[in-house]
This record gives sequence, C-alpha cells and structure tokens, in this order.
Amino acid sequence: MKKFILPVALALSVLATPAFAADKVRIATEGAYAPWNFLDDDGKLAGFEIDLGNALCAEAKLDCEFKANEWDSIIPNLIAGNYDIIMAGMSVTAERKQKIAFSDEYFPVTKSMMAAESGKTFDLDNLKGAKIGVQGATVQADWLNANLADGNTIKSFEKPDQSVADLMAGNIDLLLAGDGYLDEIVASSKGKLEFVGPGYDIGGGVAIGMRQADKELAGKFNAAIATLKANGTVDSLIKKYFKKGPYYTSITLDGLKAEIEALTARVKKLESK
Amino acid sequence: MLDILPEWFLSWFSEDGQEMIAYLTNGKHLTWYASVRYTLIAAVLSALFAIGFGLIGAALKQSGFFLFRWIGNFYTSIVRGIPDILFILFFPLAIEQGVEYFIAKSKCTAEQLSAIGTWPPCQEAQWFLTTNDYLFMACLSLGLVYGAFAANVIYGALHAVPKGQLEAASAYGFSQKQVFWKFKIRQMWVYALPGLSNIWMLLIKATSFLSLLQVTDIVYWAGLLGAANYFPRAGMVHPNWNFQYYFVLFVFYIILTMLSERFFNMLQNKASRGMSVVEQ
Repeated sequence: MKKFILPVALALSVLATPAFAADKVRIATEGAYAPWNFLDDDGKLAGFEIDLGNALCAEAKLDCEFKANEWDSIIPNLIAGNYDIIMAGMSVTAERKQKIAFSDEYFPVTKSMMAAESGKTFDLDNLKGAKIGVQGATVQADWLNANLADGNTIKSFEKPDQSVADLMAGNIDLLLAGDGYLDEIVASSKGKLEFVGPGYDIGGGVAIGMRQADKELAGKFNAAIATLKANGTVDSLIKKYFKKGPYYTSITLDGLKAEIEALTARVKKLESK
Repeated sequence: MLDILPEWFLSWFSEDGQEMIAYLTNGKHLTWYASVRYTLIAAVLSALFAIGFGLIGAALKQSGFFLFRWIGNFYTSIVRGIPDILFILFFPLAIEQGVEYFIAKSKCTAEQLSAIGTWPPCQEAQWFLTTNDYLFMACLSLGLVYGAFAANVIYGALHAVPKGQLEAASAYGFSQKQVFWKFKIRQMWVYALPGLSNIWMLLIKATSFLSLLQVTDIVYWAGLLGAANYFPRAGMVHPNWNFQYYFVLFVFYIILTMLSERFFNMLQNKASRGMSVVEQ
C-alpha cells in the first residue's frame, strides 16, 4: 500500500504549492495575427508585439513572459486574471474601455482594408448582395455590422487565417481586416488577391490592454512606451515588421530609407512596363 | 535539421522533397511530435487514478456497512452517466474556484468579497494554474470518470472468482487474510482484465480532450499546424491543411490502440497462467 500512496502524495504536493502572487508580468497574445504576433518555425511566439513587449519590459525592468490565448476569450481571461496584460494588435475602442483599461498606444491608427480576389469589381459605395468576411470581436466586425449589414451577408471568423482561407477559396467575396495584417498577405499572394477601395478609418491606435485596477503597472508601461517612441525603438520595430510604417517620429533615418527603397522599387516597376 | 542528415540520404529526394523534410522537421513540428508525451502521461496517470478509484469504489460497493455501499453505488451509477468531456471541463474549474474561494476568504477585504461580477474578488486570491496543474487535474477527472467503470468491472470480477477456489484455499489452512489477498484478489485480475482493457481504450480516446484545458497536446498542435498560413515570415505558406494533420492523429490513435491490445493480451496470458478454470 505504501508503494501506491507515495506517488499519489507526490502528485498532490504539486497542487499544494500553487503560485498565487504574480512575480512575472504575463503578456497574452493571439499568436495567429502576423506580423503582429505569430508562431515562427521553431514553434515560438514571434512578431512585432513580441519584440516590442520584450523591449518595453527591459525598459521598465520587469520580468515578462508571453503566452498565447484565443482572440475571442482574450479580454475575459484578462479580467479573470489568467494573465496581466494583452498585446495582440488590439485597437482602443470606447466599448472595450468599459471593461478594461488601455495604455498609451504603441501603434498609430491605420486604415482597415477590403481585400478581394483579383479582377473582381465592387461598387463599394452601394454594396449589395456581397459576402463579407471579418474576424469576430474586432473593430472591423463592429463596423461592418453597423454599416454594411443591410443587404449583405457578413461572415465572422474565429481566427484570421480562416478568413483568408475562405477568401482564397471563394467562399466570401470580400475580406475586411487591418492594413498591417493584410498588406503582406496580399503582396505575397502572387497576384491572387488585391485591395479594393481606399480603405476605412476604423478604431483607434493599438495599445496594451490591462485590468482597470492595475494603475501602477499601467504607469510603468506608459513611461516605457514614451521612452521607446522617443528614441526610435518603436519605429525601427514597425519598420522591421510592417515595412511601410506609419511611424511616430515624423522623419527617421530608417523611415527615409524605407521610403527611398519603396520609391526606387516603384520606379523600376514602371520602367520595366 | 537538414544539415545533420547524410548527403546520400538527401540525394534520394527532389528539391521539393527536401523542402518538405525541412518543413516536417522544423521546430514547430518537433514540438508537435514531443507533445505526444502529454497524451501518454495523461493516459497512464489517469489509468492509475482509475484503478485506484475503481478499487475503492468496488470495496465500497461490497462493504457490509450500508452507508459505504450506498456511496459506492452512488459513485458508479452517477459518474458513469456524465459525459467525460463535461467532467474535464467542470472538475478543474470547480477545484480552482474552490481553492480561490477559501484563499479569498482570508486574503480579500470584506468590500471586495461583497462585490459582484469579478472572480476572484481580489488578485491575491488568484491561483495561476500551469500546464502541469491542468494536466494533473485532467488526469484526476478522467480517473474519476473511468474509475466508476473500473469499480463495476472489479466488483463483477470479485464475484466471478469461483467459490470452490476460496473454499479449497481455506481447507488447505490459509488464513482469511491470505485467502482474500492471495486467492480472491489474485484471481480477480484475470476476470477484470478484459473489462479493464476496454476502459483503457476509452481512456486513450478521452485523452484527446486535453487541449480543452490549455494543455498543448498533439490535438492542439495539429490544429495549429494545419491552420492556413499566408505570411511568408511565419513559415511555409500553405492553405488549410487540417485534414492532413488530423489524419495523422487518426493513424496515431489506431496504432496506439493496436499496441495496447497486444499489451493486454500479454498481461492476460501472464495473469491466467496456471489457471485451468479460466476459459480462454
């Protein structure tokens, strides 16, 4: 009998020493929203927000770790305390502000874009009878439901990659998503996808989501964000992951270089035509 | 990974083939293969719990004291009817909130305790569960569910041991205790093993629910790897490959059950050696 009791007792002792106080700042991210956050080939979280989060924690002298959490439960799980902050390409909205607090933004407001299969034309001003895809619980989803739900079918997806897969398969006509997410997907689709229309101004900038009670933590992160914005770290990370900006410091060397690169590429393209 | 493979081996494959090998052996995939450990650990640990709960349940069911008998019967009939997926979802949550409730009582202020809508009432009472904690709780839940089945199997097997065997043993002068442990319990296993092997098979299938508790097991990774990727910097660009990845799981579980069948046949042969009474 002793032989049986011992392993059980050992197993129970695992439970007897639970971690209650947060010694580490746990950062939740989606891990499926490239280039903001994704799983790299090694199976580890990578992307703009992972690099930025680590830089912010180094600046604020905090010990941080990232963990992946599904998008649709990312706010409830923050409130429940499964982790301490959210960095997941989350735009600041008035609705979200009722439940959680936001830090200062670390990514400027960008446009949301409609993507479709190349060659299809849409009358975006009087859109009727179109199937429009969007990721659920996003600012884009709210906007679609408020503005284009009448006469069109809105299909909401749990994960962003599913929405792109359905667009590629022709199950939906249009996909509305953030510029930063769609840019590289459209660029690397080998001409299969293209942007339709000029885009929409939806939602605010992107910021860290926090529990409303964590005022001290918010202060630390806001200070770190201000420092990294001023010294160009945020801009250089935006450059690394989004290539074309937008940037915080109006003129940066990296930003100029990127502009020149883009312009030279465009000139070459026009010349070859 | 490609660089550690010998040249002659790689020369068998075309460039596409080599790319595929590189893809299937990248860190993501190696993590997937390694996550088999969660499935195996969960299966073995839950089986141990199930046997433990099964023995306790069977002992209660045949106890002379009515209350114990009642508890045993209650356990086997109630728990057996509840889907295991509900148990996996409910039990860890119940334990977690139960623990947090008691911590909150001592650590949170009265004002925080009376507030409605937030759980736990204050952050000091927050219990952070690691993957291993969840794994352990999932095993405990599975053990509870399948322990109820095991209790019935063991209870039946105890009654299946021929009376003549036990009477003969007493006639040879073995004490009551010896008769119980060396004859009844020893022979019980022979009758219980076929039933227990069935329960083991069910249990292996139930390990696929682990990902519900945020355990990054093979099912979790298969879903993740099968998801479409359109972003070149996040690895190979491919459409939705869920079908292919789930098919691999399919094959994995079939192989696992085949191996288990062989193992149980071996055990059965071992347990029934020298027992002419048992019909094979």
